[in-house]
Amino acid sequence: MNATAQAADTSGAGPSTAGPILRVTDLHASYGDAGTALDGVSLEVAQGGIVAVLGNNGAGKSTLLRAISGTLPLESGRITGGSIEYEGREIAGKDPTTIVRGGVVQVPEGRRIFAGLTVDENLRAGGLATKDRSARGAARGRVFELFPRLEERLSQKGGLLSGGEQQMLAIGRALMSQPRLLLLDEPSLGLAPQIVEQIAEIVTEINRGGTSVVLVEQNAAMALRISTDAFVLESGRVGLSGRSADLAGSDEVRRRYLGVATEESAEAQAEESAAVTRPTHVLSTRRAEPKTLHAAGVTVRFGGITALEDVSFEVAPGTTHAIIGPNGAGKSTCLNVLTGVYRATSGNVSYGDTGLDTMRPHRIAALGIARTFQNLALSPETTVERNLLVGRHRLTKAGFVAAGLSLPSSRRELAAQIDHVHQVAEIVGLTGDLHRLVHELPYGVRKRVELGRALCAEPDVLLLDEPVAGMNAHESAEMSATIAELRAALGLTIVLVEHDMPFVMGLADRVTVLDFGEVIADGPPDEIQRDPAVLAAYLGTAGAGAETGGTT
Amino acid sequence: MTQFIELTINGLSLGSIYALIAFGFVLVYKATGIINFAHGSILLLGAYVAARTQADIGFWPAMLLGAASAATLAALVDVFIMRRLRGTEPNSLAILTLGIDIVIATDLIRRIGPDIFTSGAPWGSEVARVGDYVIPETRIAAASIAILIISAFFLAFRYSDWGVAMRAAATDGRTAALMGIRLNRLAAGAWALAGALAAVAGVFFVSFPSPGVDNATGLSALAAIPAAVIGGLDSLIGALVGGLIIGLVATYCAGYQDELSFLGRGLGEIAPYTVMLIVLLFRPAGLFGSRSVTRV
Repeated sequence: MNATAQAADTSGAGPSTAGPILRVTDLHASYGDAGTALDGVSLEVAQGGIVAVLGNNGAGKSTLLRAISGTLPLESGRITGGSIEYEGREIAGKDPTTIVRGGVVQVPEGRRIFAGLTVDENLRAGGLATKDRSARGAARGRVFELFPRLEERLSQKGGLLSGGEQQMLAIGRALMSQPRLLLLDEPSLGLAPQIVEQIAEIVTEINRGGTSVVLVEQNAAMALRISTDAFVLESGRVGLSGRSADLAGSDEVRRRYLGVATEESAEAQAEESAAVTRPTHVLSTRRAEPKTLHAAGVTVRFGGITALEDVSFEVAPGTTHAIIGPNGAGKSTCLNVLTGVYRATSGNVSYGDTGLDTMRPHRIAALGIARTFQNLALSPETTVERNLLVGRHRLTKAGFVAAGLSLPSSRRELAAQIDHVHQVAEIVGLTGDLHRLVHELPYGVRKRVELGRALCAEPDVLLLDEPVAGMNAHESAEMSATIAELRAALGLTIVLVEHDMPFVMGLADRVTVLDFGEVIADGPPDEIQRDPAVLAAYLGTAGAGAETGGTT
Repeated sequence: MTQFIELTINGLSLGSIYALIAFGFVLVYKATGIINFAHGSILLLGAYVAARTQADIGFWPAMLLGAASAATLAALVDVFIMRRLRGTEPNSLAILTLGIDIVIATDLIRRIGPDIFTSGAPWGSEVARVGDYVIPETRIAAASIAILIISAFFLAFRYSDWGVAMRAAATDGRTAALMGIRLNRLAAGAWALAGALAAVAGVFFVSFPSPGVDNATGLSALAAIPAAVIGGLDSLIGALVGGLIIGLVATYCAGYQDELSFLGRGLGEIAPYTVMLIVLLFRPAGLFGSRSVTRV
């Protein structure tokens, strides 16, 4: 029924079925005066095709989607040249509403569901551009067909859904306007391997219903598997393109995006990391003897929900401990208990002989325990430098009076702190971004800012919540190298939560697996990878083999 | 006791008028993130137009005309000034609205001069007797109409497409735009609706016991700022509760001013601000305001 409606809708535009549904030609775009974000991108999406767009953080993938959906001006960006033809008509520079009504909808990075609205209202919001009520009803039916889960949770607030459900809601919301071209920005971000599998199936299913898809992904393995064609963006240009199957076989793509270590690439990478000597000494000024971090029988309940049930583990000084598990298993809650953000209902956590249970977060930070956040807790409207300076807070002596009056002593101290911040920036690779505002940065780069901020506090224990979410295999390997180096140079104790298995298995000395708030396995990585309970709950049998090959 | 009950009823009625004005602050804040300090002069325009025209066209049409003028003026301010500056720092824009307020108010005060225009409300200074209690009819009318408008408003906000769009845009404008929701149109609509509500409230403000529209009427909207702030600036329920609290406090202070004379004269005027300070000391985001809650 909608097919005929749509056909009637576009009949004036000529033979739209013959050509590609989307043709981007020599597209240029930029943000304010931050330089060029897209520098001549050309690509085509065939009717009914799935096109994958890969590339590093900052390569211009999100900018490309924003340009197509007409939302660049909202991020103070603009299209400076080139054209975007959709079904044979120019849409570059059109307003977002016109583009949505034309049948092009973008699902934003990070899901961005309306947390305070119910699932039902989120879906309604997605259908508002459609005036025809019966069309809205049809779209709704289709969404429930694809996501029966959403129908069960209609009256629940969007913010209470798990990560995977939120992604389903974000996609469902976009489908409410019955798009013919769906733009997906990182649908697998922060999701457990099994949920990523589900999302991949759903995208394929949506495509089978006649919707063409542009899929921006860091999970190149998944993207190349379900797409027909792929484009790799590098610094705002198309670096590589071709049939997805061909690209998946090319050495370049295998090394950079699939994390498969070929012999030459291993050598190249060894050289690369040897060449970089990081000034890690700046981080080792005042260091107490690292102690054991210990959780014993920790249970956390929110209202009626048990987030953690009798969880115990021990992190020996100088080791790296990974906590893995499906979305909603209680991993972040674990970190929150360790840093005093949540309080354990029963059980206790301690660092050496010091009990952490009753301590306020700032006192725990003063013990030398620093962390990063899963959902990015940065100040978006301030520069990277300022955000890093916040990390120096506990090591800053000038009080607010001295700082407010800009007394010479506080000015000298500030200069020294900024100097320190610059050195940390060099270690985590942010030197070029120091004076950019955080909200201008791609997700993966923001993750580095978080790591930098935590390092600025000169911690003994570093807690990392999804440090490589939003990064591709190559970037994640780089991050892994940085962390390994920091650990070696400083004797850091590290606790990390992460879904990227090559990353986890390459770094961790020990792994604790959570499911439904309980520990289902605990041991060294190679044991965990073979544990049948872990395979069933988290890795999935197919995922485990394919994703563990690429450790560096 | 009789006095207390009468004051309570009067206070609730006054409070519902404050709530209408506070809704305006909340609406504009939700749609654009700006505190609109030009709200007072927009209210003054509405009340002025209604009072000037009521002798010729009658009270109800005049009220509608006043509401329409205020809505138009507010929408024009949004479309021709605020829209061009979208994305500018909200605090700068709030200061800008102060400037707009001064320009509009200056012109209106010049037109009003030393005159006082009565609202021509049909119930004038009549009082109704309910048992032992004496209630001015204006108060009953004000409260009934306010309740009607407020209920319609809540229902629309909760259930209509417009309400869903408003709430979606207030949560995350950029994402709402991706859904094809027109942010500019929503913002202009919010400004216009805020203006219309202010005009209706203004007409009641200048009805009995007030003598009519004079050059200080615009200031009465200022007392609704504490109402909106107490409620939390981004919550409609908050605006309603805040309005009622301010109405009650102001009425009690005026009614019991002899007993409260040790605190000095004119307590009614400063009471709203005192309440606001106390509330903010304990709940910095207001009673119903969304504290920025995040999952970490």
